[in-house]
Amino acid sequence: MMARSDKTPKGGLYRPDIVRAVLSGHSVLGIAFAAVIYLVCLTGALSVFQQDFTLWEQPHLPRVESISDAAVVRAVASVAPRVGDQTLFVIFPDDDMPRLRLTTQNAHEEHNWITDAQGRITGEVETPWTEFLTTLHIQLHLPRSWGGFIVGLTGVALLSSLISGILSHPRVLRDAFHLRLGGSRRLQEADWHNRLGVWALPFHVLVSLTGALLGLSTIIVGALAMLLYRGDTGQVYAMLLPPRPALDARAAPPPDIGAMLAAARARAPLAQPHLLTITHAGHRDASVALSEERPGLLAAQDSFVFDAGGRIIQEKHPGTLTLGEQILGSLGILHFGWFGGVAVRIAYGLLGLALCVVTSSGIHVWLARRRDRGRPAPHWERVWASILWGQPAILALTAVAGVTAPAMIERGATWVWLGLTIASLIAAAVLTRVTDAEIRLVLRRVTGVLLVVTAVAHAARHGVSGDGVAVDAVLVAAGITLAWFRRGQRINAAAPIAAGAAG
Amino acid sequence: MAWIAAPALVIAGAGGGWLLRMSWRDRQRERPALVAAGWALLVAGAAGAGLVLGVMPGIATALALAPLGVLAVVAQGATWREARKARDRSALAPEPLEGTSRAWRGWAKGLLAGPLGMTAAMGIAFCYAVWMPGAVQTRLLIAALLVPLLWGLAMTWTLADQRLLRSTAVLAGTSMLGFGLAFLKGMS
Repeated sequence: MMARSDKTPKGGLYRPDIVRAVLSGHSVLGIAFAAVIYLVCLTGALSVFQQDFTLWEQPHLPRVESISDAAVVRAVASVAPRVGDQTLFVIFPDDDMPRLRLTTQNAHEEHNWITDAQGRITGEVETPWTEFLTTLHIQLHLPRSWGGFIVGLTGVALLSSLISGILSHPRVLRDAFHLRLGGSRRLQEADWHNRLGVWALPFHVLVSLTGALLGLSTIIVGALAMLLYRGDTGQVYAMLLPPRPALDARAAPPPDIGAMLAAARARAPLAQPHLLTITHAGHRDASVALSEERPGLLAAQDSFVFDAGGRIIQEKHPGTLTLGEQILGSLGILHFGWFGGVAVRIAYGLLGLALCVVTSSGIHVWLARRRDRGRPAPHWERVWASILWGQPAILALTAVAGVTAPAMIERGATWVWLGLTIASLIAAAVLTRVTDAEIRLVLRRVTGVLLVVTAVAHAARHGVSGDGVAVDAVLVAAGITLAWFRRGQRINAAAPIAAGAAG
Repeated sequence: MAWIAAPALVIAGAGGGWLLRMSWRDRQRERPALVAAGWALLVAGAAGAGLVLGVMPGIATALALAPLGVLAVVAQGATWREARKARDRSALAPEPLEGTSRAWRGWAKGLLAGPLGMTAAMGIAFCYAVWMPGAVQTRLLIAALLVPLLWGLAMTWTLADQRLLRSTAVLAGTSMLGFGLAFLKGMS
């Protein structure tokens, strides 16, 4: 066995002056972006369960485990008069989302129809709370380009914080298992911050990198187009998207979807249809793009593009795709954890919450350090407490409204969320007699109660069977845990003791 | 299959984590065999998942599930302490440098880490896209991945660097050189 020094490494990147400088940058970045990082991570941890929430919001719609080509043809034919020239997306059922969905979308509205196993339309998808949640995560309910950019920038800030966090922790391996609870609040928060940050690092890097790229894609494509194609973004997208037939608005018979599905099945028997995109149906420049999935692959890699006459104008299979095409297909799947069933979704949810804890504990360490140095910031302590538990409480309140008054949430969820967020921040700043610990305790209990109320209201409205039961059970368990948990500790309440390395 | 792989990966994570904890528990002695065994178990879990679930889905699943096992070991080894009465200097870790009180330096650093860091990252990434060999889709996607990664590195460095002029010169120079070289060749 080798003798090991117990001292902090002194050389290279871990020279004390470099560590202190990097830690300083880590603090500044964390403080500047903490609230947005926390909101994006919290909504992201919940958005992982988008499919589960979609089923939960409308548990009475029929499940379709598998569907025949004839049923797909019938479903497309039945919505065709309502679709007109718009692009129609047909999303096939799978284990995670056992429904056949037909979707149209333009700048003003979106329609999502659901069919039964025979392809008969049985209703429209109306999941306003799930849409509110995912839109909050993807674009903060701002216009897509602005909101996406801010979320992408948040991903970059998170990525930079991860890099600087590792560089500012000289004892990252030696301390890898230390979790000291119950003593100094600052040490405890620093241990949570570092352990959850280090051991879940691959996940943190993966979601921040993919999230940053998804958020920044518009500006990256725009800049590339400005530099090389005189601002024509279409030329950049043309390198990545399926080909389109030349424009020709003359009338043509509707595409023979059944024949196309049969042709694809014959040429790729191991693959299962995943997404069908029908563009300009009824015109000579119609095209039908079909992507298919195989077991053992992360993303769909079999794809066909047909013209209006049913001729294949592009065909791709595993092994023929470029690395770039495989990365493009995997980005969203890797970011949201939609590749390994419910086990991976649960892991993503837990690790997403761990990222929320990393963010909040970093701020707690900074606040505690200020108290240690005789410069406490009680207003910031209260404001952070109101963000930390105010956001879960507000999201839980919107969930209650989503169950009891979905029409109201569809129209006004953004304003409810924004109004309550601003009100909670102002209240935390001006209520000087209330401590941060009291704010956290009250809001945590409110969150718990609202989660239970959500589950009870959902069960009362939809019954205690079908697709919503598991989500209701989780809501009740989480709600009781949060409401029952009594601990409420002030920032560095134990003593002005300095320890730990973070934030 | 995923229902068998999922608990196996969490257990492999816990086993690897336990071996690593055992190896690092003694502050005076290295235990290289345990360190190697711990990492080997974690890598074996990912490799096994790759074999069973497919290479990329398996590795991605392992990266999501194994950390839960390691974190369970961390939580299991948590120590409960009494609040101490006196300052313990020995437990102190490095403190950050005291920030400057001058607002203009803060704004300047923000502009360097933000807009200028982004353009420098784009300059290098677009250079990669137009100059590197390979399929155009691959060059585009790798360049797109490089943008947030390089921007994050630029942020880290700029915020840590106390010399504003040096940061400005490097980032501005990188931006101009990167965009200039990319424009010179163009996408083919």
